Amino acid sequence: MMEAVTSDGLVAEGISLSFGGLHVLNDVSMTLQPGVVTGLIGPNGAGKTSLFNCLTGLYHGQRGRSSFAGTPLNGLGPAQRAACGITRSFQNLAMCPDLSLLENVLVGLTLKRRSGWFSAFVPTQAQRAEQQDAERRAMAALNELGIASVAHEKPSDLPPGTLRLGEIARAIACEPRAILLDEPAAGLNAVETRDLMRALKRLMRPDLVLLVVEHDMDLIMELCEQIYVLNFGKMIASGTPAEIRAHPDVIRVYLGDDADD
Amino acid sequence: MSARGAHVDVVRLLMLALVAILLLAPLLAGGFLLYSLSLCFANTLAVLSVSMLVRYGGEVSIGHSFFVALGAYAVAIIEHRFGLSIVVSLPLAVLLGAGAGFVFAFPSRRLSGIYLAVATMALALALPEILIGFEKFTGGFEGLYIAQDLLPGMPKALQRYYVALAVLVLVCLALAHFRKSAQGLALLMAQAQPRAAEAMGITRSWARISIFTLSAALAALAGALTGFASSTVSPNSFTFFSGVFLLVGSVVSLNRLSLPAALVGGAFITLVPTYLAQAGDWVPILYGVALVVVTLVANAGDLRRFLPRGMRR
Ligand SMILES: Nc1ncnc2c1ncn2[C@@H]1O[C@H](COP(=O)(O)OP(=O)(O)O)[C@@H](O)[C@H]1O
Ligand SMILES: [Mg+2]
Repeated sequence: MMEAVTSDGLVAEGISLSFGGLHVLNDVSMTLQPGVVTGLIGPNGAGKTSLFNCLTGLYHGQRGRSSFAGTPLNGLGPAQRAACGITRSFQNLAMCPDLSLLENVLVGLTLKRRSGWFSAFVPTQAQRAEQQDAERRAMAALNELGIASVAHEKPSDLPPGTLRLGEIARAIACEPRAILLDEPAAGLNAVETRDLMRALKRLMRPDLVLLVVEHDMDLIMELCEQIYVLNFGKMIASGTPAEIRAHPDVIRVYLGDDADD
Repeated sequence: MSARGAHVDVVRLLMLALVAILLLAPLLAGGFLLYSLSLCFANTLAVLSVSMLVRYGGEVSIGHSFFVALGAYAVAIIEHRFGLSIVVSLPLAVLLGAGAGFVFAFPSRRLSGIYLAVATMALALALPEILIGFEKFTGGFEGLYIAQDLLPGMPKALQRYYVALAVLVLVCLALAHFRKSAQGLALLMAQAQPRAAEAMGITRSWARISIFTLSAALAALAGALTGFASSTVSPNSFTFFSGVFLLVGSVVSLNRLSLPAALVGGAFITLVPTYLAQAGDWVPILYGVALVVVTLVANAGDLRRFLPRGMRR
């Protein structure tokens, strides 16, 4: 296994997770460096979303440790990890149907908002300024993904591709230190996918941890500098796109997967 | 965009017209009607407290009459013991309601759905016992009178009417503001997408405790005004069925938090018990029917899902 974790990024070490007798993750380790777009690929059911859930505190592995910027994350719930600056998108769209797209993105800023309970009921000058500031940031995030024009629509009136971009806007709105995206390109058409890639590349900063889960090889190969491959709950390979492309195990898994499609 | 703007303007105008009519009503109506309307406003606030819990918490309470009674008795007891009017007792009642809501919500923060509803039922069942048991404070079966004016010099009936109306309108405005606030958005998200909300730092227990505390505070405010508007509090007005009726009122108003919708719910629960009382032998059966309806609705979440898609807001 990995010795001496010196990284200040998001680190998972020896994570094992099982539901009843079903082993979903088996001694999985990965290091997400800041400033590097990291990809996680693997066939359906490999455990990518489960690993995500372990990193964001939704699941707790039976074994293993995780840390972010040197701070141990073990035992922290999802809300506490969010407070550490880790945000995510969901593979299954998680929009509130009662709220407009803009309001859905505004919720992503909750931890950054400073208005108290009194101003939740009574309009005040300070509250109005705070509200406008939050809306400006949410609009900027929507703009970044090219969907600002539909900010005031309800999710039920928008196509799934736009909603997926909206979820990413919500994840980036609060200027997080780590962004985990679960199949961001699922349901997007070719144009939307290109917009998304461009937005993600623009997003990259030297201090940002960015993890993208995909089962679309081409997209990952173009976007990521570091790639991990998960199969049946085991990390079977990691490396640069060139290394991954040449890896015999990956070729076997993906040829098998292609045969299924 | 402009169509939306025009729509908002029309709604706002209709709302202003409604408030104007209610403001002028005392010129035409008198006596009993005015008294009934004042009570209706107070009941509307109580209905709003239940609707708020449904809309922002996704939960159903059968026991909100407990918090309403708390507010009403707070006003009565503060007047009796300390001779202070609702200028003092109204804010105190709200704080007391919030405190009681918090004390109830904290241990039950992991309960939801039918389990929470049953837990609140315990409150409603305990209420009459408490009111009669603490006779020294509550006046037992007789109850207490509330005599102090808020605005000296104004006729009693008009005071009741205008104070209740003013508080109701202010609460509706506050609720409209709340819908856009950070806390309001967070609560709606926590209800619709609890996991996503957690990932954004909104914990489920925060959401549950907050909404229950707020809703109990509003119920206590409603109670304080019920006491003021009826000039009396007694165990008769806070039976187990009061809690059920509040829920029925909320269902009738489609759990909406707007003034007109809530008024319909408030009017319903102000009038129906009066008519039910005339039904004599039929009363238990009618209560039974009300309970079945409420159970069905509680089971279905809320009535909005039966509306055509475009009307759900
Ligand atoms: N909460 C859960 N309970 C039981 N099994 C689960 C749960 N979450 C995931 N799994 C199982 O874990 C395996 C991996 O799922 P998942 O992580 O969603 O894979 P991927 O995202 O790579 O497609 C699947 O077999 C799935 O059925
Ligand atoms: Mg998945």
